Amino acid sequence: MKKRSIGVTAMTLLLSFSMVLSACGGNGNSGNKANGNNNAAGVGSEESASGDSSGEKVSLSFWTMFDGGDGANMQSLVDEFNKTHSDIQVKNTKLAWGEYYTKLITAVGNGNGPDIGISHSSRLPDLINQGVVTDLDTVATDAGVDWNTFNQNLLDATVVDGKHYAVPIDTHPFIMYYNVKLLKEAGLLGDDGKPVMEQSADGFLNFLKTLKEKLPAKVTPFALANANDDPYRLWWALYSQLGGNDLISDDLTTADIDMEKGIQAADYIQKLFTEGYIKKNDPDFYKNFQSGTAAIMMTGVWATGTWESTKDFEFGAMPIPKIYDQEATWGDSHTIILPTPKKEDSAKRKAAITFANWVADNGQIWAKAGHIPSKPSVLEKQEFKDMPYRSDYASVASTVKFNKPSVKTAQIRDNVSFKFLNEVWANKMTPAEAMDKMQKDVQKTLDE
Amino acid sequence: MRMKKMRADVQALMFLLPFLVVYVLFTIWPMIKGVEMTFYKWTLIKKMDFIGLDNYRQVLQDREVWEALWHSAIFVVLTTPTMIVLSISLALIANRQSVLQKFYRSIFFIPSVLSVAVASYLGLFVFQPYTGLVNSILHLIQMLPGDKEIFWLTERSLAWIVITLITLWWTVGFNFILHLSAIQEIPDEIYEAAKLDGANDNQIFWRITLPYLTPITKTIMMLQIIASFKVFMQIYIITGGGPLDQTRPIIQLIYQTGFRKNNLGYAATMSYLLFVILLVLSALQYWVNNRKGAEDR
Repeated sequence: MKKRSIGVTAMTLLLSFSMVLSACGGNGNSGNKANGNNNAAGVGSEESASGDSSGEKVSLSFWTMFDGGDGANMQSLVDEFNKTHSDIQVKNTKLAWGEYYTKLITAVGNGNGPDIGISHSSRLPDLINQGVVTDLDTVATDAGVDWNTFNQNLLDATVVDGKHYAVPIDTHPFIMYYNVKLLKEAGLLGDDGKPVMEQSADGFLNFLKTLKEKLPAKVTPFALANANDDPYRLWWALYSQLGGNDLISDDLTTADIDMEKGIQAADYIQKLFTEGYIKKNDPDFYKNFQSGTAAIMMTGVWATGTWESTKDFEFGAMPIPKIYDQEATWGDSHTIILPTPKKEDSAKRKAAITFANWVADNGQIWAKAGHIPSKPSVLEKQEFKDMPYRSDYASVASTVKFNKPSVKTAQIRDNVSFKFLNEVWANKMTPAEAMDKMQKDVQKTLDE
Repeated sequence: MRMKKMRADVQALMFLLPFLVVYVLFTIWPMIKGVEMTFYKWTLIKKMDFIGLDNYRQVLQDREVWEALWHSAIFVVLTTPTMIVLSISLALIANRQSVLQKFYRSIFFIPSVLSVAVASYLGLFVFQPYTGLVNSILHLIQMLPGDKEIFWLTERSLAWIVITLITLWWTVGFNFILHLSAIQEIPDEIYEAAKLDGANDNQIFWRITLPYLTPITKTIMMLQIIASFKVFMQIYIITGGGPLDQTRPIIQLIYQTGFRKNNLGYAATMSYLLFVILLVLSALQYWVNNRKGAEDR
């Protein structure tokens, strides 16, 4: 009896251990499967080993954070690239947007990062600082990438300390959309199909005033979120139009808000809220515009694809009005980066940058979602010109005012600017008080 | 005899070993690693510099930390007593002999099977202005003029009410089940005896039901305090910690510090501060309970 029970114990033990081990194995397998999901059947999972030694085919893993229309367009870019490049295979792995950067940073830190990744240009300095991305100058020269073919403004946002760190594939600036029917109803649509508006602070206010007077009371003149990103983007745009020079000094160490300009811009937007041009606490301003109950709205260009797929929806797109001295708007770029590898592999790097450059060259596919391609040559392509709306705002690419290359940009925006500006929009804080508090908190963030 | 005992011990150990290995690997070791983190400037990628007790010094002076802890404490105070009253009341209702008994039981329990995201988004839809259920009803019964809206989520005190209500609705089911089964454990004879002695419903509740429920209520209170101190997701979804970080709990601050500000060392220090607070609270409660128990005897 005793003997047997020991045997049973040993068996149990073995069994449990094997279960623990197999659980680990199972994870590994499913991980591989996830990576290989988008791969064409038959292309082996033993990518790098065989590919490198024979020098025939280079397999590259590519991490992206795109979903919806963006995700589908990126997938068709990857498919098209794989079809036209027999020597390179790119495998696209989609990660959840909310966890993308955290996963990228930790994976690269462990030496398990992908061969190619995506970054917003606003996040680049942080990634560079942490050693997540490598500079591209040598490999770009090797692969024959001509930096002059890119829009200079977008390219500048990817250059830090004189070195190229990423290949910009687009910019997605903050622009204005309008409802054609409602503008016509208010008598504000010109014969050219564009809004009739004087491009100035008073001009835009008068435009909104007319919309409010001429349209039924239930129509919102200007649909905008009541907090966080979009009103912040508008503030950033107006602040930049006034000549405001970011929130930090050129040496990136001290908070340096241009108080007067910051206050003026915030005050202008606050009035739009308090005087009833923007619906207070709009729970869903996209839906408000989409369902035809708002005359204009402002957000990033990515909404273009959404409006296009809305049935019987007549809309127009244009740069945000020039309210102050110079044209400027908020914007960010998607860029392709080469994360720091565990082991340098020049063939892979060369293939990766070839892919990145190819994606930029074929920006007309990527532009379906609404983004503005990073290469001016793409804007000349017939395929791009055939797409409506994009040409109406493509010029904005050169007037986007990017953040200075600070590692704290994202933190300052999310934890400081949003917080106090939200209070201004809710009319619970004066613009002057908000700028004052922002100045202090920006400094605190920079010091941390 | 001794052989036998030893053999039994070995046997027990072998049964425990797999669990022990996993437990040490995935719970004990990370905890030790976490303590190590608190002595370093440690980012998502790597250990940077040894900074000794700097993180501890900073955490004690950091106003944001104490504010966030205070918010978590507010949440504990708002939810724990209401949770217990609500849970007992619902259990009493569901325990009544009635055709609706089964209906009550499921309807009180159903919300707790939802995930926190679903519960929070439901709450958002109910309390949002213009189209939300609450404001619409208030408009309908003309408690609220047609052109006015209550902005539940952007006023500090209202936001706390919303967070509390949603949390209660979502989590009361589990405690309700515990209380219900405890009520059903109370012997019928005691009630019969009480009735024979002429006790009224009030007396029966205060003198019999409630005292019998005390042990389970204490347990629930304990679990509730710890759970409430760890509140994060529903607040993150409903208010994002706003307005002006006035509803931001400590866990959200830890999350932001670690993963948004890329400062794991400092985030770990905050976690251990919270750990110590919870430990003290638990110890305190354990001590109070035990002393009470001793007196009763």
